Amino acid sequence: MTNHCCGPGYASPAEAMTAPREKLLYTIAIYTGTGIQKPDYLCTIDVDPESSTYSQVISRLQMPGIGDELHHSGWNACSSCHGDASMERKYLIVPGVRSSNLHIVDCGTDPRSPTLFKVIDGAEIKARTNLSAPHTVHCLGSEIIISMLGDAQGNAPGGYLQLSKEFEIVGRWENSMGSIKFGYDFWYQPRHNVMVSSEWAAPNTFMPGFDLEEVGHLKYGREIHFWDFEKKEPKQTFYLGEDGLIPLEVRFHHNPDSSHGFVGAALSANIIHWWKDAAGDWQWEKIVDVGNEPHPEWPIPIPGVISVILLSMDDRYLYLCNWLHGDIRQYDISDPHNAKLTGQVWMGGLLDRAPEVNGVKVTGGPQMIQLSLDGKRLYVTTSLFSTWDNQFYPEIRTNGGCMLMVNCDTENGGMEIDPLFVVDFGKEPNGPSRCHETRYPGGDCTSDIWV
Amino acid sequence: MTSFTITLANQGGAAFDVDHRKPLLQSLREQGVDLPYGCKYGGCITCAAKIISGKVDQKAQRALNNRQINYGYIILCVARPMSDCTLEVGVESHDKLYRNPFLDPLAAHELKADIATPLEAKK
Repeated sequence: MTNHCCGPGYASPAEAMTAPREKLLYTIAIYTGTGIQKPDYLCTIDVDPESSTYSQVISRLQMPGIGDELHHSGWNACSSCHGDASMERKYLIVPGVRSSNLHIVDCGTDPRSPTLFKVIDGAEIKARTNLSAPHTVHCLGSEIIISMLGDAQGNAPGGYLQLSKEFEIVGRWENSMGSIKFGYDFWYQPRHNVMVSSEWAAPNTFMPGFDLEEVGHLKYGREIHFWDFEKKEPKQTFYLGEDGLIPLEVRFHHNPDSSHGFVGAALSANIIHWWKDAAGDWQWEKIVDVGNEPHPEWPIPIPGVISVILLSMDDRYLYLCNWLHGDIRQYDISDPHNAKLTGQVWMGGLLDRAPEVNGVKVTGGPQMIQLSLDGKRLYVTTSLFSTWDNQFYPEIRTNGGCMLMVNCDTENGGMEIDPLFVVDFGKEPNGPSRCHETRYPGGDCTSDIWV
Repeated sequence: MTSFTITLANQGGAAFDVDHRKPLLQSLREQGVDLPYGCKYGGCITCAAKIISGKVDQKAQRALNNRQINYGYIILCVARPMSDCTLEVGVESHDKLYRNPFLDPLAAHELKADIATPLEAKK
């Protein structure tokens, strides 16, 4: 149970796993790039099976303007401030990748109906820090840092924006970007004084859509970076080459003593594993390699495009999504050097393996995922990014995205799509929208870090 | 001030006088046209429109590749008019904006300007 004497979150990953089952989800949905001239919004979804509104959107918080492209989000406080009784997990920071606006959403006052607390204007962020295109939000103690993928003109590498706990702009977090070419995701593991960051591309490259040909012109990332976390500067870079094209989601083990971590290389469709060896040096290896699939009518085989990875709270299972193939995989990584495939389900995708699930036409493929703290329920959304959706899944404009739930066997491995749960974003009141990242009010498997 | 007339072909031929010094997105929105947009610095393609006739200066755009430019796409948040123009706006004009790169690769001269190989240089 939660230790009520202390701050937000849980004393340990093991304690987090014993938390009560999640009853609400917060999921962003976009109209940017869809042709519907309405603001993007934050949905609250009822996931309490005892409730009469189970599997439905129960409230919608519209952003003030159009064109944000909401994408990822993060809490003002997580288990990294568990020891600080003055902190509370109350505000969700919801950036707009295109507008650079940061929306501070109060989810604590009424968790079933969040309200907008504050907006930090993208123009102010650009003027004060020369940064744009916010992506990943992590709190670290009472500070908040956000990876910003571009400078104020959308050029790489961008940097890191630091906010105070009152949501004031502090400035640039990092002391140096070293020779880093691109930014994207990051995760830190303080007991090893390390942060690892990955690479997408410059906003001016990825925001208009995916020109595959630009990969060969080195416009997309293929390196990961190990930072001296206290000095706030990069210390070591691994060139992953053809094995690591477009390394995206970065996940350390939740166990704060562990040095093991993973990144999904989206275009190579590989999982890269790193760890600190006995001599104290960082090493890396490829542990999963998803092969390309030929298409009968297309000149170029289709890569999986691993758009997300996630680790269960006990660090036993790694989940990945092949957004273009249409499958979610579960690997047992009890031995992180030897990933064993233990489960696989299909939804949507370009290979036409599962065009319809639970009575809903799945447009897009499995994309963002969020796992319950006990590891048994995996919530999945299908939209990646408006312009990329428009290239690969143009019917999403009229069909919208959807959310499904996958039941995961934590004892023996295995996955099954839940036959009752589906949220069809094609039927939203203002027209078809697209859903992306999900957060739980009490913290989830990608929000919390232990110090 | 020099002004030009911008006609929106897919909005019933509605016409607007605009200042040649201002980006078209700003001028048209100020006159009540509801247009999509995102970054407002020419990098994200959300505000793309198709030019049917006329000429714009869009040197500041970074979003379009040469194939998209050849189809007539312009980036309204940074494009300034150099003549009267007729445009198609909004996602209705995006029929040729997006392509699946595994189905339909770009030739070397169709890439973005900074990495494209000019056609004549290939000889």
